[in-house]
Amino acid sequence: MDGGRTFLAATVGPVLVALIVLCLAPLGVLLVVSFFRVDFVSIVPDPSLHNYAQVLSSGSYRYLIAKALMSGATIAAITAVIAYPVAFFIAKRIREVKAALLTALLIPLYTGDLVRIFAWRLILGREGVLNSFLIWTGAIDRPIETLLFSPTATTIVLVYNYLPFMVLGLWLSFETLDDHLFEAAADLGAGRTTILLRLVLPLTAPGLVAGALMVFALVVGDFITPQLIGGASGVTVISAIADLFGAAFDWPLGSAIAWTLLVAMVGVVAAVVVILGRTPWGSAAFGRG
Amino acid sequence: MERLLRTYVALVYAFMYLPVAVVALFSFNSSEMLAFPMTGFTLGWYDVAIHDSRLLGGFLNALTIAAPTAAIATTLGAMAALALTRRRFRGWTLFAALLIVPFFIPKIILAVADVIAMAALGVPHGVPAIIAAQSLIILPFSAMVIASVLIRLDRRLEEAAADLGASGWQVFTRVQLPLMRNGLIASFFIAFVLSTSEYLVTSFVSGRTQPLAIMIASDFRFRLSPKLDALATLIVSANVLLVAASELVRRRAKGAVG
Repeated sequence: MDGGRTFLAATVGPVLVALIVLCLAPLGVLLVVSFFRVDFVSIVPDPSLHNYAQVLSSGSYRYLIAKALMSGATIAAITAVIAYPVAFFIAKRIREVKAALLTALLIPLYTGDLVRIFAWRLILGREGVLNSFLIWTGAIDRPIETLLFSPTATTIVLVYNYLPFMVLGLWLSFETLDDHLFEAAADLGAGRTTILLRLVLPLTAPGLVAGALMVFALVVGDFITPQLIGGASGVTVISAIADLFGAAFDWPLGSAIAWTLLVAMVGVVAAVVVILGRTPWGSAAFGRG
Repeated sequence: MERLLRTYVALVYAFMYLPVAVVALFSFNSSEMLAFPMTGFTLGWYDVAIHDSRLLGGFLNALTIAAPTAAIATTLGAMAALALTRRRFRGWTLFAALLIVPFFIPKIILAVADVIAMAALGVPHGVPAIIAAQSLIILPFSAMVIASVLIRLDRRLEEAAADLGASGWQVFTRVQLPLMRNGLIASFFIAFVLSTSEYLVTSFVSGRTQPLAIMIASDFRFRLSPKLDALATLIVSANVLLVAASELVRRRAKGAVG
């Protein structure tokens, strides 16, 4: 069909141009600069692997990258556990107000990063809502000092920020799950646990993987939350990159860290896909087996 | 069991709305202190927030950026959604994957990549740069919203028009465009909201222009006051109205099926 080619040129064309100019090209420039070095206040185009050697040999950068990946995986796991029953409930127990419930879940997302963090500081701060409330009710005598500016606070707010993405991913899977399967399994004598482990979990695995990927990537990239909520524990690989592009002028090193992080993220995702793909449970997630 | 599930889901929703509720609550509290117990009811902070000329300037800046950004993201999103839902072409998977790259890459990496590329090419920081950078970040969301409407449309209408001799362009302007109109409106609203609340990449490429989100960020660090609560409550309310309106419009698009 001749119209097909025109159609693709008119639709895919401009989008590809935008993606290349605004995303791939800047990332390419970032990659090129990562091989350069800084001399005083200027960038010297003298290609070497020096920056990467520095990133990989530095204990603190390795630690920060590992910490970011771990934190992404941890938050993905926590949100998965919290979101699972919610997604099931919305997909299987609600008919009339389904769209409204999903929209209601997404509305806090549209408040913007800063408004949300601002609110959590009001809640968790030393003179914050939670402490004042507990003292007011007489549950405690003096404020709990460690609520805000702790790794726990960061975890709570990260879970809060990205829970809706996990619910969305899982909800899509539950929505396509055929209820007759449950009845058939129950008729054939399967108990609740068997149905959950052998039927529900494998069939919702695609949604779980989609949700986990979104949460993982978003958590690794989040630096305002650890910085403004985590206090001293809030140094992340992302804030290290931001510093190198700000006060500590070293764009090449910052670029090398950024690219190392990107490669590490892709590596983790690829590893998960390969490992899961080998189990019968996970092969359902990637449409094989 | 069912009641347990219900209670649990209610608790999760309460968790999601707790911060929003706290901000709204303190915006009406007469004390300057953001702490319990509450001292009394006032609308004064709203008065202060609305009459702050610096914030008003930031608000206008945010609108000047959000309108073109939403238009660009929606146009590109519509093109991507049309291609992905209407054709199965070679490179389909690659195209779909490329489209979600801006969503998956840490925003700070996009931001520093933009800064470096702009420095290399001598592109100045400012409003056009913000619009370009934000359009890219919002593109995956726009494409998703519009695709969710296109998937539900009855393809036979398009085929019938083509069979009756309509050209590709005529099918688009006479059939597809009117049917996907609601998806476009929904995408525009959501892109608008995302643009006004985007902070990170904006702060890297904004130059001397200060949209509201950046002002709030600096006030938040140096001048915490209930005025910010009032401002946040206003922003959230406006966003909720926009998102709810777009959701209503998008769902009405389902009526086009059948």
